[in-house]
Amino acid sequence: MIKLTDVSYTYMTGGPFEKAAVSDVNLTLNNGDFIGLMGHTGSGKSTLIQMIAGLIKPTSGTIEIDGQTLHSKDCNMRKIRFKTGLVMQYPEYQLFEETVFKDIAFGPSNMQLPDEDIKRRVEFAADLVGLAPEILEKSPFELSGGQKRRVAIAGVLAMEPQLLILDEPTAGLDPAGRDEILCKIKDMHRRLGITVILVSHSMEDLANITNRIVVMNHGRVAMHDKTSEIFKKSEELQKMGLAVPQITEICEKLRAAGLPLSEGIYTVEMAKAEIEKVLKK
Amino acid sequence: MFKDITLGQYFPGHSFIHRLDPRTKILAVIIYITSIFCIKSFLGYAVLAAFTVLCVLSSKIPFKFVLKGLKPIMIFVIITAIFNLFLTDGKILVRWSFITITYEGVRLAIFMVLRLFFLVLGTSILTLTTSPIALTDGIEYLLSPLKKVGVPAHELAMMMTIALRFVPTLLEETDKIIKAQTARGADFESGNLINRAKAMIPILIPLFISAFRRADDLAVAMECRCYRGGENRTRLRELKMKKGDVFGWFALVCLVGLIVLANVAYGRINI
Repeated sequence: MIKLTDVSYTYMTGGPFEKAAVSDVNLTLNNGDFIGLMGHTGSGKSTLIQMIAGLIKPTSGTIEIDGQTLHSKDCNMRKIRFKTGLVMQYPEYQLFEETVFKDIAFGPSNMQLPDEDIKRRVEFAADLVGLAPEILEKSPFELSGGQKRRVAIAGVLAMEPQLLILDEPTAGLDPAGRDEILCKIKDMHRRLGITVILVSHSMEDLANITNRIVVMNHGRVAMHDKTSEIFKKSEELQKMGLAVPQITEICEKLRAAGLPLSEGIYTVEMAKAEIEKVLKK
Repeated sequence: MFKDITLGQYFPGHSFIHRLDPRTKILAVIIYITSIFCIKSFLGYAVLAAFTVLCVLSSKIPFKFVLKGLKPIMIFVIITAIFNLFLTDGKILVRWSFITITYEGVRLAIFMVLRLFFLVLGTSILTLTTSPIALTDGIEYLLSPLKKVGVPAHELAMMMTIALRFVPTLLEETDKIIKAQTARGADFESGNLINRAKAMIPILIPLFISAFRRADDLAVAMECRCYRGGENRTRLRELKMKKGDVFGWFALVCLVGLIVLANVAYGRINI
């Protein structure tokens, strides 16, 4: 369980460019959930997840992960970092090793695991993100952008974190690459039973795969609920400058036109079933 | 992690000092620095200190912020002071086993500390009140007489502008890469020197690659907009000396005059 109490973060405290990125966030996230974190640019999403991953220390407030308070005296930060895997924005720019294998192995070898264990984990992670075994011996710099992204994600997965945080993992990918990465992440969540936090400002991405959504606005948590509940409030979302999925928009318009559809439809399948039901009546 | 560097940072504002022509400010700093090393007495430094305080006051930058720039040079200052204190010959003030402190040593140590402080303060006032663009414009203009002897003034200024422009970008990038590798369990704090140097590899390689990529992208973007160097290039904002600059020069002449007076006085009476 991740518990945030009154968490705030201010950049450049005291300087002329002081800026509060996150203010007074109270949030409890359960293990095993697939959580979507959304909000538009500058709403504090990235700062929030970096605090959860223990990379930056909150200016005030506390973060607890499974009962351990981050940055407290009796808390081993390295151990916590091995427990949480963070895939940052454009993670392909962190690749540095000679071969893909070595790069994916960077995390596990920092954990000082035995060699055969590392090998197993690398192969498992590579398979999970859909990298062919022959790619493992190539240099990461000769791969395509989409493949690099997958190598970078595999590098985090190889640490087998219990909490996986992904910051806009689909930014800059073509629609096919985007769907594939999202599909892999969903698959991973199902197979490994881990907690996943997916940051995105694309509603379409989140609607299909998350079961809970946190909406951030101006550094504060604006909403936190089940995915189906969130999309019932499409008007509020649009006020915050967030687009609801296109299918939700269509259903809203149909309802305004007099078709008795229920609220909170956010996938095409749901809409299809609902419309069929209404038309049969 | 790198967000607290003040040296070379611009502090936006509209004060008298901010509005001075960058050429005035650059030349003023050169004169200021020269005078730091010409001063022979404490009286001279008092004049300089008063001038510096006036500059900071009229720039409307909080003192605390300006003084923050001194922090990184503190160790250097302390070492210089210690060397001067113990290794200068002259009239003996204190003698304790192998340590001797001389009157000249104390004097020189204090002078050195003052010189270093004023050096940093003077240059930080320049960089805090002048945007990097204005600064390089000023440098380009001041160097342009040297074009006749083949100094590529425009190209030098452009290179400086680009370098300055990318300092924050690269710092941000470094910060991001460090965070990413820390998240993967990289350890930068423990181990001996060799291990620590090795721990830098996962940061330096991605940083180099991204710097080259950025340089390449920028070169292409400049080509696309037909950049061809300084030949026949006009500018959006021409530099113009204003009334304020006349006053600035007047203040500077006063400063130099007072320092010369202080030095002359020092020749007659010893303070």
